[in-house]
Amino acid sequence: MNLEKVIFGFFILLAATLNFGFFIGEIGDPTHHNVYELFAAVVVNLIATVLKFGDRTQIGAVHLATSLVADLQLIAAAVVWGYAVHVAEAGLDSHAMASIVSLSGGALFANVVSVVLLVIETVSFHRR
Amino acid sequence: MNPLLGYLQKVLSGDEPPHRVPLPAAVAPSSAVFLVLRRMRTPLVVLIGIYAVSVLGLTLVPGRDAAGSPWSMDFFHAFYFMSYTATTIGFGEIPYAFTDAQRLWVTFCIYLTVIGWAYAIGTLLALVQDRAFRHALAVQRFARKVRRMGEPFFLIAGYGQTGRMLGRSLDALGRRFVVLDIDPSRIDELDLDALHADAPGLAADARNPEHLVLAGLGHRHCDAVIALTNDDEVNLAVTMSAALLRPDVRVVARTVSPSIAERMRAFGTPVIINPFDRFGDYLRVALRSPAAFRLMEWMTGEPGSEIPPRREPPHGRWVICGYGRFGKEIAADLRAEGLEVTIIEPGSPAAEDASIIVGYGTEPAVLERARLTEAVGFVAATNNDVTNLSLVAAVRGINADLYVVARRNDESNARLFDASVADYVLVPAEVISHEVLARTTGPLAARFIEAIPEHGEAWAADLVARLTERCGERVPLLWRVRITPSDTPALAAALAMPDNDVTVEELLRDPRQPEQPLRAVVLAVVRDGKTLRAPPDDYHLAIGDELLLAGRRSARQTLAANLHVAVTREPRRVRHAHGGWLWRRLVRGVR
Repeated sequence: MNLEKVIFGFFILLAATLNFGFFIGEIGDPTHHNVYELFAAVVVNLIATVLKFGDRTQIGAVHLATSLVADLQLIAAAVVWGYAVHVAEAGLDSHAMASIVSLSGGALFANVVSVVLLVIETVSFHRR
Repeated sequence: MNPLLGYLQKVLSGDEPPHRVPLPAAVAPSSAVFLVLRRMRTPLVVLIGIYAVSVLGLTLVPGRDAAGSPWSMDFFHAFYFMSYTATTIGFGEIPYAFTDAQRLWVTFCIYLTVIGWAYAIGTLLALVQDRAFRHALAVQRFARKVRRMGEPFFLIAGYGQTGRMLGRSLDALGRRFVVLDIDPSRIDELDLDALHADAPGLAADARNPEHLVLAGLGHRHCDAVIALTNDDEVNLAVTMSAALLRPDVRVVARTVSPSIAERMRAFGTPVIINPFDRFGDYLRVALRSPAAFRLMEWMTGEPGSEIPPRREPPHGRWVICGYGRFGKEIAADLRAEGLEVTIIEPGSPAAEDASIIVGYGTEPAVLERARLTEAVGFVAATNNDVTNLSLVAAVRGINADLYVVARRNDESNARLFDASVADYVLVPAEVISHEVLARTTGPLAARFIEAIPEHGEAWAADLVARLTERCGERVPLLWRVRITPSDTPALAAALAMPDNDVTVEELLRDPRQPEQPLRAVVLAVVRDGKTLRAPPDDYHLAIGDELLLAGRRSARQTLAANLHVAVTREPRRVRHAHGGWLWRRLVRGVR
């Protein structure tokens, strides 16, 4: 067992699960979506991205790309949240919440791709 | 490349060389970026972690708003506060003054973030200092420069004395080159050399084919590979790689060993230059035909430089001091010319040879035994410059009429040899550099130089006189002109007209100044595969001829302009005929 692989897999999976946890629930209902969960998803996604740095293989490049997409979407969601609470007149209404959750939904898709890649890598490693 | 694009390119261009060998992929150029990313992984994760803990803590620690009611920071303010605190900007406690609990947490965070930043920046700085990283950057920069070479260039392996001399000459001629040398200090020197054009250099082993590929062996503009390292094995390896990977590229290799030369010849048709052997050939030509020798010196010299007229080497008994590789070559060549040779060599194994005097040439008694007063020539051929210089001075003292040849090994002694009274100073690096220059000007020039000795003294003397009259005492520039409608539209148009002949003399006449011929001479004309050397002035040119010319740089420019754009001469004014393609079309359209 390789400790590096454990950490790598752990962060990729955790990024996907946290993202899913935030995404699930009524799309426009602020009470269904926890701000701490979004924060955790952003942080874990960033760490997962950094862990993917420096892999020169083709699959490593795709891994990094999916993570960058997820980061972009999650940070956009966080920015929308901050804007809605502190800048917008209307506050965190159902419309703003729907935007945030749909952005995180996009990130979730990227994270799922990442997990699929991880599974493919693992399976092909065993077959070799 | 996209296979479809590649296919399209092949279909459209159609002139793909038939025996193109697939080249190995060069070192991935983005390796430096990957190195940074990989090394920065841990510091970045630590930094993200520290920020996350700090921000999260700030949102959890209880605070109070302006009215004193319980309040806890939201993520937006927490991130804002941490951003300016961690970067030591410090705007103060906002939006409300902190409680003691918050201050406790912030104190902790401040030290935490300082550690995080110090770690990240420290790693980055260490990386910049790192040798592997710098090497990766240098390779990347080198590969980019080579890839962007938009004109023909030479690949020079080995940038010692010879390589540098050749590099400077090539630069003066406006040719580009790429350098590979195993010694990084020589590559540094390349950067310091005052060259007109940028010459990419890489400190790498030329024995490795990957390095050769990186230096542009697979580049479509790579014109020739020149192996000039001090190590014959390396030169052999370079010759081999070039012949196997790019059979269509010319290879020039230096070696002083006949057996290595034999092994090099197994790979294609490389030009092999053995400086000692070549110098011996020169000496033979000089003995047989001084004018031919002068002509060869001019053809192989650095254009624009001055070569003073030399004394003619005399026929008679020669004394050679030093019987190494060079001494042996010279002795063999002199004997082949039917001259008597006496050799001075300490500790020679072949002592039974009557012509060998065993002893050190620097000892007066040994020199006396060589009967220098009765000899006509002397060669100081040892591999020690100080010995050679002292020998020159000593033999001149004994016999002032001797023709003295001295071998110079080290560039730093150039002044001493210039000041010495030697008639001829042999510099192996110079011989090689000149040979390479002559060989790489083109096969036409190389064949011409090789054929000079065959034509005899009278022919050579006549050509030397013509060159001196037209171009002066300086070494002329050699260039090649092919008469075709695309290369020389004006001349081709004139030749295409019926009953219109252009002779060599008319070619070298500038219509703007008809009384003064151009300062150039036509050395050779190739027609239907046959070469005519030194054509007479009334020789009629034809379309398809290939000319080799020698002359001043200015003559080359004037001639190139006249061959391209027809100039007609009318009374009292010179005017350009309708020159460019577009203008000719326009004029034709109007008519």
